[in-house]
Amino acid sequence: MNTPLSIPEIEERLHSCAGWEAKSRMLVQLSRELPAYPETDRTEENRVSGCESQVWLKLGWNNGALELATDSDSRIIKGLLALVYAAYRGRSPEAVRDFDFDGWLAGMGLTRLLTASRSNGLKAIVTHIRSSASEI
Amino acid sequence: MTDSRPPAPMRNEFPLLARNPGLIYLDNAATTQKPACVLDAEREFYETANANVHRASHRLAVAATGAFESARATVAHFLNATTPNEVVFTRGTTEAINLVARSWGQASLRPGDEIVLTELEHHANIVPWQFVAQATCATIRAARIARDGTLDMEHFHSLLSPRTRLVGCTLASNAIGTMPPIAEIVAAAHAHGARVLVDAAQAVAHQPVDVQALGADFCVFSGHKVYGPTGIGALWAREDILQAMPPWQGGGEMIDRVSFAGSTFAPAPARFEAGTPPIAQAVGLAAALEWLIQQDRAALLAHENALRIRLENGLKHMPGVQIVGPNTDKAPLTALRFAHAHPFDVAQFLDNHDIAVRVGQHCAQPLLQALGESSLLRVSFAAYNTEDEIDRFLAALEETLELLA
Repeated sequence: MNTPLSIPEIEERLHSCAGWEAKSRMLVQLSRELPAYPETDRTEENRVSGCESQVWLKLGWNNGALELATDSDSRIIKGLLALVYAAYRGRSPEAVRDFDFDGWLAGMGLTRLLTASRSNGLKAIVTHIRSSASEI
Repeated sequence: MTDSRPPAPMRNEFPLLARNPGLIYLDNAATTQKPACVLDAEREFYETANANVHRASHRLAVAATGAFESARATVAHFLNATTPNEVVFTRGTTEAINLVARSWGQASLRPGDEIVLTELEHHANIVPWQFVAQATCATIRAARIARDGTLDMEHFHSLLSPRTRLVGCTLASNAIGTMPPIAEIVAAAHAHGARVLVDAAQAVAHQPVDVQALGADFCVFSGHKVYGPTGIGALWAREDILQAMPPWQGGGEMIDRVSFAGSTFAPAPARFEAGTPPIAQAVGLAAALEWLIQQDRAALLAHENALRIRLENGLKHMPGVQIVGPNTDKAPLTALRFAHAHPFDVAQFLDNHDIAVRVGQHCAQPLLQALGESSLLRVSFAAYNTEDEIDRFLAALEETLELLA
């Protein structure tokens, strides 16, 4: 059975969206399913710089599995962060390093948002997660 | 309602707009689209006159130099400069301000001197001054804005003193449109013996900029915001000031004589144009300025202002929408905040309707901090926009805000 915010479940839901309007609405829907970000972690240290919206990311490793909490004041960015969460949470460092996030988004027809991601901080987040996996 | 339709065929003069009939382009403060005559002028230059300028004496080089210097004369005419020698071609506004800060600033500023800027400035009129202030131990002071986004003139005047060496001020804020009272600012700065740099980047496409009437010492703008190509802009500086300024970049073109013992430099403006300049872009810029000069500029500005007022009136009754910035004395643009939606999300949904707007901090972080905003959505107009586009924008925005509520 698919758990909420799992890779196959997200793929199924986004593939059912025809066109950008439907995909944008789905991202807004996914943003509501991301676990709440702990207020105590809303610190300057956990802020990811990006011009268009504010993004927070808190990373940790627990018994070789990635724990992460993330949030944004933009719902579309938060929807994209739900994809980051589904892709990486609970994975081993090897699995984090091996996962092709850009390819996954492109496969779901989200290339346009990927292109914009340099300004929305998503790229910085994925790079940060991957380098954390390389350091452990 | 005043009739604010532009001359009917205008949209068709812009190949990108003609190719995208559904596109509503409202990001003109970032860059304008280019009329066909600008694209044609660049192509024509490469096809008939391409050679390097100011070097060889063969016929093509003479033609290229002629086209380039004629472009300089067009810029001088556009700004009502007294001579083309007051015009230096740069990559744009940013490079022009860096030139003044590095050349004039390094040579003129002493420890304890003060540079007065305003909270309305784009980062391009802040960071170059920070570099030179650091190098010379000068200090930067920033005139505050009032709550409504106008400049706090009382505070501005209080910052001026005999230590003030330069005042840098925009003609129109790129983020919220505020047009500060520039005549008062120039007069006050000069009364304290300071030089004045005017950032005209957001003004040139909309209103005539007359450097002699302005009375400033430096004026800068970018070609791509005035229907011209990217990669070209200009610095205008009063001739006596420009001739006294040292070079800032070394290379070909800007020299008089070079030996390994030392070099002497060409007079301005060549002294500030090291290396091969953007020749075709200068020709394209001249075509854009000539195109604009041929228009009824008062009618275009009235049209753009009417579009802004139509938008702002339409927003008045939309719940959860607030206009940020003044409602008079502003460039044709409108900055918005939303009570229940993030500007980025709104812009994404507007993009689904083929409406292009800009969101974020607009390279004006000190201004957004002063306003207490982290992100604004900006709608900015050009001559080719229409009333119908504004109505479609309003409908799409209303739908988007309901969806994001």
